[in-house]
Amino acid sequence: MEPYKFDVNNYRNLLKKYISSQDEKSLYQAEQFSKLSMQHNISPEEIINVHIQALKELYPDLPTEIDSSMNFLLETMISYGLAYQEFQSLREKQGELESEISIAANMQQTLLSTTKPDIKGMDIGAISVPSHQMNGDYYHFVTDESNNLGIAIADVIGKGIPAALAMSMIKYSLDSFPETMRNPSVILENLNRVVERNVDTSMFITMFYGLFNHETGSLQFSSAGHEPGFYYCAAKDQFHEITTKGLVLGVSDQATYEELEITMEPDDMVVLLTDGVTECRIGERFIETEEVLEVIRQYMHLPAQEAVESVYRHFERLQDFQLRDDFTLIFLKK
Amino acid sequence: MNLNIDRNDNGDTQELKLAGEIDAYTAPQLKEALLPLTKAEGTMVVVDLEGVNYMDSTGLGVFISALKSTKEYNSDLRLVALQDRVRRLFDITGLDSIINIDSTVRGGK
Amino acid sequence: MITKSSVQINKEWDIVGARQMGRELAKDLGFGTVDQARIATAISELARNIYLYAEKGKIAYETVEDMNKKGLKIIASDQGPGINDLSKVMEDGFSTSGGLGAGLPGVKRLMDYFDVVSEPGKGTTITTIKWVR
Repeated sequence: MEPYKFDVNNYRNLLKKYISSQDEKSLYQAEQFSKLSMQHNISPEEIINVHIQALKELYPDLPTEIDSSMNFLLETMISYGLAYQEFQSLREKQGELESEISIAANMQQTLLSTTKPDIKGMDIGAISVPSHQMNGDYYHFVTDESNNLGIAIADVIGKGIPAALAMSMIKYSLDSFPETMRNPSVILENLNRVVERNVDTSMFITMFYGLFNHETGSLQFSSAGHEPGFYYCAAKDQFHEITTKGLVLGVSDQATYEELEITMEPDDMVVLLTDGVTECRIGERFIETEEVLEVIRQYMHLPAQEAVESVYRHFERLQDFQLRDDFTLIFLKK
Repeated sequence: MNLNIDRNDNGDTQELKLAGEIDAYTAPQLKEALLPLTKAEGTMVVVDLEGVNYMDSTGLGVFISALKSTKEYNSDLRLVALQDRVRRLFDITGLDSIINIDSTVRGGK
Repeated sequence: MITKSSVQINKEWDIVGARQMGRELAKDLGFGTVDQARIATAISELARNIYLYAEKGKIAYETVEDMNKKGLKIIASDQGPGINDLSKVMEDGFSTSGGLGAGLPGVKRLMDYFDVVSEPGKGTTITTIKWVR
């Protein structure tokens, strides 16, 4: 096949061949011609103009009605051409925005990164996957010199960039609290005041904060309106919901937080999560808590990190690989 | 997904009857309908959620804004006829302690 | 030779008159069919903006000559409310293609030269030129 050039001669020959033979090959070449035209930013009205020129050369006695009708078509296509050019320019702009967002997402990852600590006698698994580029979920581990472990898991209402920005604020507040301030309820009370002062009224954050004492095996925890986690008691082979009364962060500066404590025995496990897990949709319906626990049960014999990843993959498949919400899951296995 | 909003104007009592889903896409629509009502002093705004089968945290955000607005303008907000799944969301987040919620009795008349 | 003429825009049908005058001048200057259609479309946009936002105004035409080229200059002026945020109006996607047509970015694309001066409360003047290829 001949190379394609955008000129009247080429188009005229193609058109002539097609009119005489009506073959598929010419139509295929017409398709090539149109793609090439787009690459060279040729607008639709110019193609019609080329068509008119070619037609006139092939049929010098073209009836004036046909001629006028072609001009009419040309006029009609001008606005389409403009809309197409606008679309192209918006598409370029979109590309620029996307690359900016991906830079921001990388930066968020660096800012919010937390290392999963090695605590003797505790196997920890954690996974957090954003549904879009920026994650509105967050988890954070801190350890002190006596190997006690502080765990925060949080969800900012709303998704995307505003949520991610609010998360960075939370992380830096948590980091700035003195090490002596360790009670989950006190930490949440302080965070609540920070959030209440600094974010818009329609925005709020839910958080679960736990403090694991490595000596005694106790877990003290408080919740600021966060999705309840689960405590798996190995002796009874049962899951229990763990939650405490407490208002979400950022709504009222008067909020106080209840604090509870459980003691973990060997093979016990604590499951922390965000509503991206419990609000998972299977087709038209929502997953039930029992089903979530069944999935967890299916994988909990694995090492903690492998287990959370397996659970995530299971849910990902259930939702046809389209997360509607950010998904965060933490296993603490004793 | 869609959200239907019907407004019932009874003078000092303004009722919004919602049906459908409240999520990031429909929440702005709810905000637009709800917030102006809370800005009239002395008004009781009743939101009927009987027809709402799904609400996410964006919806909670709208109700929090509305609540703050009622404090500012001296009006009242009341949520009635919540389905279990929606009710649970208010319970977990502790918002049931600051928002007037009535799951059983239909109010506003 | 320099010709000058103008069309007043007071009602929607004046847009058609403005297009027609532009097209005739363009034809006389030797513009091809495609460029004639582009000029007419640009005039439409400008005249419709006047009609929609300023109610009254005019489209003026001038033939212009440079060293070795000829062109058609079109000046749309009105004493309407003016444009507050010019850079916003010149952004793609601002005037939705559905309702308002191609908007000013479209006019800029159709023509070779484009300039807009606007003072809020006083009015807007848009100057464009298309050169004969």
